[in-house]
Amino acid sequence: MKKKVLLMGASGSGKTSMRSLIFSNNPASLTARLGATVDVEQNHVRFLGDLILNLWDCGGQDSFMDSYLSTQQSTIFSHVGVLIYVFEVESRNMTKDLEYYKDCVRALRKYSPEAAVFLLVHKMDLVRGNKVQVLEKKSKELRVASEDTPITVFGTSIYDESLYKAWSRIVHTLIPNAAVLSKHLTTLAAACSATEVVLFERTTFLVIATSTPSTPSTSSIPFSQSHTPSESLQSTQSTQSIPQSSTPTTSSQSTGISYTSDLYNGQDGVYDSGPHKMDPTRYERTSELIKAFKLSCARVREDFHALEMELPEFTAVLDELTKNTYVLIVVHDPSIETAALKLNVRLARRKFEELQGDSLVS
Amino acid sequence: MTSLNGYGSSSSTVLSQTNGVNGHTKSPLRTKILLLGMRRAGKTSIYEYVFNDLPAKQTFYLETTTRVTKHHYDTVIPLEIWDCPGTTTLETLETPLTQFSTLIFVIDIQDLYQQPISRLVDFVISAYQDNPNMNLEVFVHKADALSEEYKIENFRHIQQRVSEELLDISEEYEQIPINFHLTSIYDHSAHEAFSRVLHKLIDSLPFLEDMLNVFCSNSQSSKAFLFDTKSRLYVATDASPVDPPTHSLCNNYLQMLNSFGPLYKSVSASPLRQRTISPPELTPTSSGVTSPTTPHSVPTSASETPRVPSSSLQHTSPSSSSQQGPSTPLSPTQSTPSVSSPISSSSASSTTPRRKSKISFYPCASTSLSPSASGAGTTLTYHLINPKLALLALLPTSVYESRRGLVEYNVVFFREGVQEICEVEDEIRKGGGG
Repeated sequence: MKKKVLLMGASGSGKTSMRSLIFSNNPASLTARLGATVDVEQNHVRFLGDLILNLWDCGGQDSFMDSYLSTQQSTIFSHVGVLIYVFEVESRNMTKDLEYYKDCVRALRKYSPEAAVFLLVHKMDLVRGNKVQVLEKKSKELRVASEDTPITVFGTSIYDESLYKAWSRIVHTLIPNAAVLSKHLTTLAAACSATEVVLFERTTFLVIATSTPSTPSTSSIPFSQSHTPSESLQSTQSTQSIPQSSTPTTSSQSTGISYTSDLYNGQDGVYDSGPHKMDPTRYERTSELIKAFKLSCARVREDFHALEMELPEFTAVLDELTKNTYVLIVVHDPSIETAALKLNVRLARRKFEELQGDSLVS
Repeated sequence: MTSLNGYGSSSSTVLSQTNGVNGHTKSPLRTKILLLGMRRAGKTSIYEYVFNDLPAKQTFYLETTTRVTKHHYDTVIPLEIWDCPGTTTLETLETPLTQFSTLIFVIDIQDLYQQPISRLVDFVISAYQDNPNMNLEVFVHKADALSEEYKIENFRHIQQRVSEELLDISEEYEQIPINFHLTSIYDHSAHEAFSRVLHKLIDSLPFLEDMLNVFCSNSQSSKAFLFDTKSRLYVATDASPVDPPTHSLCNNYLQMLNSFGPLYKSVSASPLRQRTISPPELTPTSSGVTSPTTPHSVPTSASETPRVPSSSLQHTSPSSSSQQGPSTPLSPTQSTPSVSSPISSSSASSTTPRRKSKISFYPCASTSLSPSASGAGTTLTYHLINPKLALLALLPTSVYESRRGLVEYNVVFFREGVQEICEVEDEIRKGGGG
């Protein structure tokens, strides 16, 4: 199954760097050596074994953009599953960026009306002031420019976990059976008496699916309607929007801001996600940490394989589930041993392999 | 342990002197390290990067140090690190050099001008005259700025210049032992260099190393480190040579484990997670008797330092859980340590009535690395020894999987030994010196 993903944005905004970090497992420092992309670089990224992401990294220089919007329009904008448009948070010429963006969106609506649109406000690490406010302001501008196309905005940087968060969400919408996977993960979680089970893709370590919490995550803090960053907005949405892959655009439109504003607002704020109140940024931080560790293993010419830990706060096992996925089981019950968890993973393997095979064929 | 004094006699004289000077007889006597160098050499960056986990990129924003900052850091031994401004000279530094056990001079690798070298030489000579036992270390810093060949070239050049200057002044001075280290905060060389500096200050190092050697040979481990968890400096390692990539790997592993803790910490589930204290009514002798049944018998003799209030230290949780009854994770091995523990607990029984909690849960983790071309897979293990120290070891995966119980058994004894050593250190520093 192939899904076409368009990666567009102004020249130098960071598209190829993102690709290098997430898909090619290069460290952030290596992106400094990348040159400008000439025309379109097509990459077929094998994701989850049978799902192929046909990633079109479109060079952002003016001449290329002009050609995409004129002669190459139908080639570029047809059969698109997802458009990812990258803006630099401190862009030199925001008006021009917006102009090109509007044209792209128009072209997209014409040739691929069903495509989802994600906007990444990149290089957030360069913002010296209040990141949340800057992101809010930018998001408003972008929403206006998008007219009636539903969009999701993320603030990202290659130097922290925000990029993993954005891409995990994006890729999640492309996985056809995410809800089914989530359901099975929940079963696995129940079997292990686990608090949480997370499924990661093997190479990129992006989050594919997670188990839903055992008790409904009704927090006592009232749901706030405003778009101002509030932890409550994030909490009621965070545990629920993950398994829902069906309506990514509408449900995540309002959560788009709160996710990222939560990220830059205060990770030491309210850790309100479900009855266990764990750190809301844990998924992407796990992706980031494991990937960094994998890189350091590679330097010693070893390959990271599996991990288990018994810490005072929790017990966790990270192991291969299928040939394309890794599973992380987090248990808060001190009487459960890692060997038991590993046994369950072994037993669950076949089922998950089957699941992956089935769904992607259909 | 009287042999301790024989190892680092200079440090004990320093301690006794400082006790008199400071007049702080209650706080532990600290080993003092002097951090010197020209302005913008990187002294504060190194300190912040190593001891405060500051990301390397953010050291750029650090402000210039304007006055001598004394940092306290506790590891196997308590340290006091004096971060001095770049303009410090012998005169401006009011404290006599005899107070310090180590002098670290930081030179920017690209700074080949006269000034840092002559400043260094001044300090070296005074140190030699006032305090001949003082360790002299030079960090040739910002090594990441140059390519491999230039790095080594400059490094040698600096060493040569220093040696020539000393020779010019007097032949005797050329023989002064100075250790040069090539460092950078963009990799783990700063940790490596600081670790080596630390080794010279730990009186009990031979004992720690010895235990590590025994552990390695008995567990078929190719390399083991005793790391200070917060700073990620290694306090001791076994006799096999330290290979920078391996050290880096272990360092990164520790960093990852440190970061993982807060992520999945559950605020609401935490009370469940804390292993509850065994009822204080249990007398020490009966705890020795019950040990064969409960899987937490061993560290009875070790828990002498009052650790109960320090629940802020994440890695220690006040002891045994009644919930652990059904699952005895280490049951195959527990029968054997419990045989020895009645002996140790009976000897400690005279002192244990004061201490009520027995710490029995120590975090551990392991990561298996898949087999590569070089051979069978390796497993990287982590065992917490005390709140500040962790044992990281590399073992063949086959050994770890088939003989895990034995490995953990060995760790238990290793842990006891290290804890005893640390207690003795504490006692000496708190009580002694005068």
